[in-house]
Amino acid sequence: MAEPEYRRLTKTRVRRKGAFAITATRTSLWLGNDHLLSIDSTGYTEEYKRFYFRDIQAITICGNQRRVVWNWILMVLLIPCLTWIATMLFSAGAADVGLLITSGVVTSLFAIPLIVNNLFGATCNCYLRTAVQVVELASLSRIRRAQKALARLRPLIAGAQGELSAEEIPARLRALAQDVKPVVAPQSKPEIFVIDDPNSPPQSPH
Amino acid sequence: MTAPTIQCPKCHASLFEGVFNRTDPVPCPACQRPLQIEVFPALFRKMASGNTGELILTEGEAACFYHPQKKAVLPCESCGRFVCGLCDCELNGRHFCPSCLEAGKTKGKIKNLENRRTLYDSLALSLSLLPLLIFYFTVITAPMALFISIRYWSAPRSLIHRTKVRFIFAILFSSLQIVGWGIGIYFLVSNHG
Repeated sequence: MAEPEYRRLTKTRVRRKGAFAITATRTSLWLGNDHLLSIDSTGYTEEYKRFYFRDIQAITICGNQRRVVWNWILMVLLIPCLTWIATMLFSAGAADVGLLITSGVVTSLFAIPLIVNNLFGATCNCYLRTAVQVVELASLSRIRRAQKALARLRPLIAGAQGELSAEEIPARLRALAQDVKPVVAPQSKPEIFVIDDPNSPPQSPH
Repeated sequence: MTAPTIQCPKCHASLFEGVFNRTDPVPCPACQRPLQIEVFPALFRKMASGNTGELILTEGEAACFYHPQKKAVLPCESCGRFVCGLCDCELNGRHFCPSCLEAGKTKGKIKNLENRRTLYDSLALSLSLLPLLIFYFTVITAPMALFISIRYWSAPRSLIHRTKVRFIFAILFSSLQIVGWGIGIYFLVSNHG
């Protein structure tokens, strides 16, 4: 059997382009022979972006507060549910089994996402930089997963571009920043007008 | 074009040392947000200047198809026309003229230029399954699903490996719906008759 052209790098994740889920697309990353393929899928169409290993300049993983925010939201929703269960369990008289099951199901709706959110680890935004663009890789939303993907990408990019030691980067970055000087447009000489007669239009001295 | 320096995505402070090619995230010196930045040699590579093409100096030299006054440097790998340095479009080591490159993109002949595909197999399967929720719609959607399945049977599917199983199921379900409607209409007509 022929080897597939693309190997999966990340699982499919939802990328929301708007406030509503109807505009959400699913995004995933795939490894090609000489490039990284990003697929944005609506289910009926797919959009592709190719990042050739020889063109990738940098990959940035930046931690964010998304996990903490979701933890707070889920905990705020979970506390009343836990209170509800505790009230039923410790109240005088036999607890209604049906109500207990209902409250358990409702509690699990918030408890399971809370556990999963913390099991997956810290959240992040991941960016890929080329000479012409900086693209967010939405499918890499957890630091641990992003680091795993980076570990797979690193040797492929190094194979296409060569190695770069961490010690030489600062000096080369400074040199690069100094090389690019801002281009200032030459200022045109202001035109001088002679006004001898206040009623006549302005005239050039020559 | 992107800025020549690496910046923190959050606070946009220019970063020069301490955060590059580490194994674990380190706080950004400006905003303290955890950062892990992997820098590759392409960042320091100079952008290649574009070739404008040489003018023909001696008579009898091959000229560019698009610029008769310029010297041809190689033939297009698709159409064979001679092109000058200005018209030579290189893509993964292959050389094309601008019109072949454009045609390759619009007609999908050059796979690496394709940036969008319609998944007709998913469309056909959805058309054959989703309208079952409101059964009466299937009288329209079942023939549509069957038509799409047959019309786009050979159309390119997703770039990532995908089989024709969606088309097969779409044909199966839509055919069953059409047969169901046929039997229903037959019984209606025969009962009234």
